[in-house]
Amino acid sequence: MILRVHNLCKSYYRGKLEIPALKNVSLDISEGEFVSIIGKSGSGKSTLLNLIGGLDTASSGNIFFRDQDISAMSRKELARHRRFSVGMIFQSFNLIPSRTALENISLALTFGGVPRRQRKARAEDVIRSVGLGHRIDHKPTELSGGEAQRIAIARALANNPAMVLADEPTGNLDSVTSSEIIDLLQELNQKKGISILMITHDQETASRISNKVIRLVDGSIANEQGKTSMP
Amino acid sequence: MNISDMILLAIANLFRTKLRTTLTLLGVVIGIGALSSMVSLGTGMQKNLTDAFLENDLFTSYRVTTKNIDLEQISGGNFENMEGFLDKPQTPLTDSIIKIISNIEGVQYAFADIQFPVQLSLEGYDIKLNAQGLPATSGQYKPYTNLLAGTFFQTDNEKSVVVKWETFRKMGLVPLDKDNLVVFSREDSLKGFKVVDPDSLLGKELVIKSKTLNPLSLAISTMGGKVPDEKTAFREVETRLHICGILKKSGSFAGQQFRGGIYIPMETADDIPKLGFSSIWDLFDEEEVDSYGSVYVRAKDIQDMEIIRKDIEALGLHTFSIADQLEEIKKTFLIIDSLFGAIGSVALIIAALGIINTMLMSILERTREIGIMKAIGGSEREIKFIFFVEAGFIGFIGAIFGLGLGWLVTRLANIILNARFPEEGIPVDLFYFPWWLLAGATAFSIFISLAAGLYPAIRAARIDPVKALRHD
Repeated sequence: MILRVHNLCKSYYRGKLEIPALKNVSLDISEGEFVSIIGKSGSGKSTLLNLIGGLDTASSGNIFFRDQDISAMSRKELARHRRFSVGMIFQSFNLIPSRTALENISLALTFGGVPRRQRKARAEDVIRSVGLGHRIDHKPTELSGGEAQRIAIARALANNPAMVLADEPTGNLDSVTSSEIIDLLQELNQKKGISILMITHDQETASRISNKVIRLVDGSIANEQGKTSMP
Repeated sequence: MNISDMILLAIANLFRTKLRTTLTLLGVVIGIGALSSMVSLGTGMQKNLTDAFLENDLFTSYRVTTKNIDLEQISGGNFENMEGFLDKPQTPLTDSIIKIISNIEGVQYAFADIQFPVQLSLEGYDIKLNAQGLPATSGQYKPYTNLLAGTFFQTDNEKSVVVKWETFRKMGLVPLDKDNLVVFSREDSLKGFKVVDPDSLLGKELVIKSKTLNPLSLAISTMGGKVPDEKTAFREVETRLHICGILKKSGSFAGQQFRGGIYIPMETADDIPKLGFSSIWDLFDEEEVDSYGSVYVRAKDIQDMEIIRKDIEALGLHTFSIADQLEEIKKTFLIIDSLFGAIGSVALIIAALGIINTMLMSILERTREIGIMKAIGGSEREIKFIFFVEAGFIGFIGAIFGLGLGWLVTRLANIILNARFPEEGIPVDLFYFPWWLLAGATAFSIFISLAAGLYPAIRAARIDPVKALRHD
């Protein structure tokens, strides 16, 4: 089991008014699984992903990543978790615009403590592995959406995480590019055995490629369907 | 991420916003420029004064005089140590007393301070000044070691003379000194000043005219009931001495204010008939004791000064040393430096506000980037450090350029001030940048900048990544 979420609750406060975003969410993800989360906007998908990614802290409940309780981690330990355990991909790519593809990835490697001399070669390797060897010195604005997302994936993979958290990675892309990105993620999952937790709107794709699809409705899990149960 | 990575990242960030960094930097540069030039003026004044003291050997010397009644003390109603003062005979400064002083442990040498007004003539140039008698041993010590040409006299009775550079200058002859090139003013040129080779002056005959009382004529006129007129009451004597050495121009502006303009071997000086400053007292002296007005005592080491003072005062004599005033002078300069420093610091504090402003702007602009850095594993500590280094780097670079600016400004001010107030035609350095000022200003600039960066850095580190990633 790479990830175990148990009775997770997260509320935001507007003044004294409590706005629950997640209500008693529990789920398990095994090593090497590809899990999709679907649900309407405001259903708490991103909140769940941010909590698992260690960007946010839960109101109650636990998140165990390989038996380590993320919800009990200090801010410093959370930074380590984000650095080495998980890699995050976003709908809007979130590349630093002033830096080239290589520099964006080098920054992640720098945080990962990779010595300066090895950084360039490692960054180049990881860029080539997503098929963008010819775009190494391009800045994000000079890349197409699909290319930018590939660089973002390369950055997520830079420090060899066990799990990739993808928040609607195809949300800003056309259908052809989308399927290329989905293929890339699937390849990572199948060839490298990286566990993937992906948020998507596309129910059809989710069902096709995932081992498990989780539907969130108003902060709660409505149903969890395994691939085996699909007809 | 190690420290060098964070530093490089911080510097790269500064380079990305060149204009803003430059403007912020400029604030610090001006602040440090103002601070350092102000303080360097204070230290420059202090250095000029202490250098003058050092150059004239004033820290290791005493002037010994017969015990005086301290009028100030008495007027204050303080009669301490005064008991029986008037009844006791005063210790006169005679040759035998000088011998006793010379034998005090720690005393290098002591000699009577013979100073008398003379008129000098050298190849038609005339000048009036004070002549000073010195023992030949003085030639081993400052300021008499600093010769432009020739040597100090070797014996106490030779017929030679050491002349100060400034004395020639007053005569209109300027001995060429490669280390101290003279800038002639228009006025100087009109007066017919000319540059001469110092070696050509050596061996030349200097005619010294001194005046003394003519006791015979005085006696005759008094007996005749007539008031003696100047011509008959005084006798003019000519002494011919050969120039054996020329002392260099004293580097400090206060230098030439000490002691006479020419130096004559002790015994030769003693033999010259003269009217000393205290000679008028000689007229009233019934006992014909040959005593001097003051005695100069030089200590072997500055540490011996206190013991020597006690020993001399035990003889019933009074000592005076400029070193006694040094602590007071130092205190005064500390106040001046602090005042100047405080004025300069105001500029630096304004610059610090500029740094805070720039950093906060930068954080606002880079919110999303900070969110990304956190998402890919940047810790609060690292982000805080990066911003901290950015501020510190502005302080460091600002200090370097600021010191450069301060130096330029003081050079310029020095040139202007020297042109406005020419002093013997040789530029005086009014400003001084000691190493502690360079190091202190740099450290202060970095400290102020880091302090200015503290709040922005903490704020950057505390940014919520979830909100930051949504930030446009």
